[in-house]
Amino acid sequence: MKTWEAMKRICFINGSLRGKKASSLAFLEDVNRKFSDTEYMKTYLTVRARLKDNYPEDMLQSIAGADSIVIVFPLFSYGLPGALMRLLEDYYRYIQAGNGYNKNAKVYVIVNCGFPRPEINEEAIRVIKNFCRRLSLDWRFAICIGSGPVVVATRKIPFLDMKLKKAYAEIVLDIQDVDRGKRNNYFIKPILPEPVILMIKNQFEKKMLLPESDQIS
Amino acid sequence: MNTIFILDKDTKTELSEELKTRIIEILNEKGHTIELVELGKYDVSPCLGCFFCVTKHPGECVNKDMVSGIKKNVRKYDLTIYMTPVIFGHFSSTIKNAIDRGTGSHNLQIIVGFGDDIDNEEKNTFIDLTAKHCGSADIVHPGMNKQVDVYITRSMEDNTAICQALKNCL
Repeated sequence: MKTWEAMKRICFINGSLRGKKASSLAFLEDVNRKFSDTEYMKTYLTVRARLKDNYPEDMLQSIAGADSIVIVFPLFSYGLPGALMRLLEDYYRYIQAGNGYNKNAKVYVIVNCGFPRPEINEEAIRVIKNFCRRLSLDWRFAICIGSGPVVVATRKIPFLDMKLKKAYAEIVLDIQDVDRGKRNNYFIKPILPEPVILMIKNQFEKKMLLPESDQIS
Repeated sequence: MNTIFILDKDTKTELSEELKTRIIEILNEKGHTIELVELGKYDVSPCLGCFFCVTKHPGECVNKDMVSGIKKNVRKYDLTIYMTPVIFGHFSSTIKNAIDRGTGSHNLQIIVGFGDDIDNEEKNTFIDLTAKHCGSADIVHPGMNKQVDVYITRSMEDNTAICQALKNCL
């Protein structure tokens, strides 16, 4: 077992407000399980819905002191959820106010969207990269996931989740400072073909959405 | 034309205030009925992602705050204008919360980003974030607006160019 001082500190940020139903939480827990509690000092932050003030200082300190930051979130309107954006704004202001932080912190993102194509997450990734550039943080790479809930539901089927497992393994190796040379983003598609997913999505919308004339106007 | 103009009241700069005034003047000249909504970070809760607004209570949000009424009446607006500081190439959290909560007109939206120190990568990120996906029917979700125009200002000269473009298109 490592001493407390020798342990690497990982800060996991859950950018979803959906609690236990969140796909983001499932992905976060997957990665979290790859890191032993005796080898790493881990902190878990979840964005908040109602804040009467800025994010609490202890949350911001957890990010500032981390060696690695893993941000997991759902795509909202092609961007970051507002609650996560608020956390990044508060953190940026906290650092701008002169508070110390680990400039060498490595930053990883796992982002999932409702669309089958994981490339749709690209702009959200660029926002996090801009955030890293502003603070000179060490941007590493992202895992972009299409149809997050489908991937969550099917990720434990043997032999079908190899790409996701490989992507998780890359995060682990990178945090362990194993030089892998490349730092490309990973794009994870659901195992169901895109037309099937779109058919399910359309069925859901037909069933669940009221006709426009019945909606409140 | 019914127009709702949504701004972030926590981040006001000389640039944004000047542009706000000029946009309101243009809207008045064009005969728009304007509803001006200045949102602060404590005025709007984030979207919970519960989907109740499309499943259980169509058109209504479970969060009750300043934007609940806008969402409920969103179909009465012909145009929504969002004005937001550009932060890391993204909307401010306040404006993003309003967007996530479905406050945008289903007909036309104009998004204006501002900031004195937006770099080129942030500018490009913001443009792609707001404009790239519009019009691609297979990935646009229900209720998504039909048209989105995006402008970014980093200077008074940009403000003038934006106003000229708005005069021509509104």
